[in-house]
Amino acid sequence: MIGVETIFDYAVTTTLGVLCLSFLVTIYRIVKGPTLPDRILGLDMLVLIAIGFIAVIGIKTGYALYVDVAIALGLVGFLATVAFARFVLSRGKTEDDILTEAREAASTARREAKLRARPSGGNPGSAPHPGAGQTGGETNP
Amino acid sequence: MTEIVTLISAGLLLIGSAFTLVASIGLLRLPDVYTRMHAASKAGTMGSCLMLIALAIHSADFGTMSRALAGVVFILLTAPVSSHLLAKAAYTVGYRLHASSVRDEMAPQDKQ
Amino acid sequence: MSLFLVNVLLALAWAAVTGSFTFLNFAFGFVLAIFALSLIREQVGSVGYFSRARRVVSLLLLFVTELVLSAWKVALLVLSPRMDLKPGIFAYPLRVDRDFEITILANLITLTPGTLSVDVSDDRRILYIHAMDASDPDATRREIAEGFESKIMEAFR
Repeated sequence: MIGVETIFDYAVTTTLGVLCLSFLVTIYRIVKGPTLPDRILGLDMLVLIAIGFIAVIGIKTGYALYVDVAIALGLVGFLATVAFARFVLSRGKTEDDILTEAREAASTARREAKLRARPSGGNPGSAPHPGAGQTGGETNP
Repeated sequence: MTEIVTLISAGLLLIGSAFTLVASIGLLRLPDVYTRMHAASKAGTMGSCLMLIALAIHSADFGTMSRALAGVVFILLTAPVSSHLLAKAAYTVGYRLHASSVRDEMAPQDKQ
Repeated sequence: MSLFLVNVLLALAWAAVTGSFTFLNFAFGFVLAIFALSLIREQVGSVGYFSRARRVVSLLLLFVTELVLSAWKVALLVLSPRMDLKPGIFAYPLRVDRDFEITILANLITLTPGTLSVDVSDDRRILYIHAMDASDPDATRREIAEGFESKIMEAFR
């Protein structure tokens, strides 16, 4: 017959392990997440997992103070998600829109550079260069 | 009596962590933002609430217990609100539903 | 509401008289106070208080069972090897019209199986709901109307 305390210790250890695993999985989603709302959702999930961590550690160590930390973290996480949602709303465009805009800007810049280079005709090597540097800078974000 | 309480809180911890893991797997596998929101707002909320309840029944004194339960209520109140805000913001800005979606009755209203 | 306050005060008095402020003792005092109030319900006019309390409690119980059920369904769906999803957004005509009730309904819908409230139309007549399985929206609409909405209307008016 195994003691109840032993079972409880095993349960706490298993819980910590499972929480670590879900933490990593969520971080993978945040890093990979194709769009901004995906990442925000991942951060929300991370806050929930962290509250779980705090609860488990509060049980393991027996400090009652951890409960307050968990509540405060929940509050901060909620406010962060609300602020991020406002940010998504105020940015007002998706990643696809931004990419399209950047591509259009790049192509117009290239066309202008070409137009500017042709009438001058003097040094064809140097004129397209600033245009190319600009397009590189704009497609990056 | 205390042994039964300990066993119950151990069980709640295990179930809660399992739900949290399921929520993060859902975050990984589901196709678009809106379906992922289902996983995070239901299974994730459920997981952390269960773990806080485990803390509440494991600690025997009134103050800790009431604070942990207040935390549970707080999470239950805020999780739907935040996911609702995020879904609304994402839809208004124009993140599309996944290609496998069968209907979108919000779309015509959106264009008016 | 004042009767609820009386109830809590009676429970506190019980805890003070017995001299231990543990949670169990407080809960026991609360139950005792409910019993005492129900003994004198004709005198203090608390008949409505009891039926309303019972309806609010039944709404809470429904909410908890639905939350457990929905988390379980999400778990089954996520862990099934190939997910056949038919997600979609459908419109739900609201019968409740006060802000408070719409908020509660939207929160309950978010935490129930397969549905997530996305937006309320500007005239507060229509709630837009995202569903994991939107192949039969009429059945879902009927479920919500008969389950949560009628319970909320019972409990708060």
